[in-house]
Amino acid sequence: MTPSEKLALLKQDVELFATATPETPLASLPDWGSLAILLIILHLEEKHRLAVAGSRLRACRTVGDLLDLIP
Amino acid sequence: MHSSLSSIRLAGLAVTTGSVVRDFLADGLAAGLDRAALERTAKMVGLRERRVAAAGVTALDLCADAAERLLAEMGLDATSIDAVIFVTQTPDHPQPNNASLLHGRLGLSKSAPAYDLSMGCSGWVYGLQQAALLCSQSGAARVLLCAGDTLSRLTHPGDRSTDPLFGDAGSATIVEKTGRSAPMHFVLGADGSGAAAIRVQQGGARQPSGPLTERTDAEGNRSHDANLVMHGADVFSFTLREVPAALESVMRHAGYAPATTDALVLHQANRFILSTLAKKAGFAEAQTPMAVVEHFGNQSSASIPCALIHGLADRLEAGPLKVVGCGFGVGFSWGAFAGEIGPLTVAPILMFPR
Repeated sequence: MTPSEKLALLKQDVELFATATPETPLASLPDWGSLAILLIILHLEEKHRLAVAGSRLRACRTVGDLLDLIP
Repeated sequence: MHSSLSSIRLAGLAVTTGSVVRDFLADGLAAGLDRAALERTAKMVGLRERRVAAAGVTALDLCADAAERLLAEMGLDATSIDAVIFVTQTPDHPQPNNASLLHGRLGLSKSAPAYDLSMGCSGWVYGLQQAALLCSQSGAARVLLCAGDTLSRLTHPGDRSTDPLFGDAGSATIVEKTGRSAPMHFVLGADGSGAAAIRVQQGGARQPSGPLTERTDAEGNRSHDANLVMHGADVFSFTLREVPAALESVMRHAGYAPATTDALVLHQANRFILSTLAKKAGFAEAQTPMAVVEHFGNQSSASIPCALIHGLADRLEAGPLKVVGCGFGVGFSWGAFAGEIGPLTVAPILMFPR
């Protein structure tokens, strides 16, 4: 799966990524915070069968960092 | 661990909440937060109001009120109780245990043992399993289970990931031995490797006291060592990993399927988690009471009895209902149950003091 395919899939589940690109800093997204992280965890689990530790998610700085968690 | 306990029934339920009403939106606005963002959070997580304990009121007081009202409603004398179990992580004192204090306050018989279980959000199910075990295997005819906490006192007002969530409440449940043979099934488990994800660092023997130096995390949430701190992402991952599996296991043991089960009653963590779990377990939202959080807050070990009363009181009084449920949380522990509940006595949800 390419980064743009991963991002398109993520946008289906998590609204706050609607206009994001891989370069977008997560902290610049409106509504970025603990609830957004829950939505991402659910997305990773349901669409990618991935369980990612909270510490790895919190270490992400950009949308691209998040997408890199997906093999 | 699976256990299947027969010849028991839930005979009564009561919940008493704290008397101070806190409004999520008003509190957030007073803290200088953006109204639109607060409204989005409120909708997704299901936060509106919560009830917290008034100054000086403890989980013991809330549970004692629930127990007294339930005994009165059922027309029972306190001396007919064969054992009392108290589930809490906010006891009045390190010693003695809350169960003995309640035993004395209610005037229970000296032949009735009284002990605490230190469990949180999964705790009501653990207490129910213990009470069922005493009735099914140990010669008790009637057990009083009290489960409650005052977690709102443990959060830092500057921690947005915990402080708006918790309400304070105490529950009372009467479990009785009965001739009925349909067993109640339990699946209990824990993943202690993750237990640090929800913790209060200070106040136990490892760190009895010390400076309460404030920290600020990456999201700007403040806390110190005497606060309840929760790593929400890890807790959510744990919940997604373990709760659907525990529900599937307990339903398999009971021979239940979502379509033929009357209700799924989960620990009322928040609306987002409950709707996610209901979907994963194959239950419709209409089968799954999830309004406790928006009226009362996350009540820890009192939330499942509160959801049973708030969402199903009339149907439980008429009973029986096939109910599946699960508590999950602190200690990374979970407890799932499946069985028939009702007909039983339900005392209304009231505040204390009134």
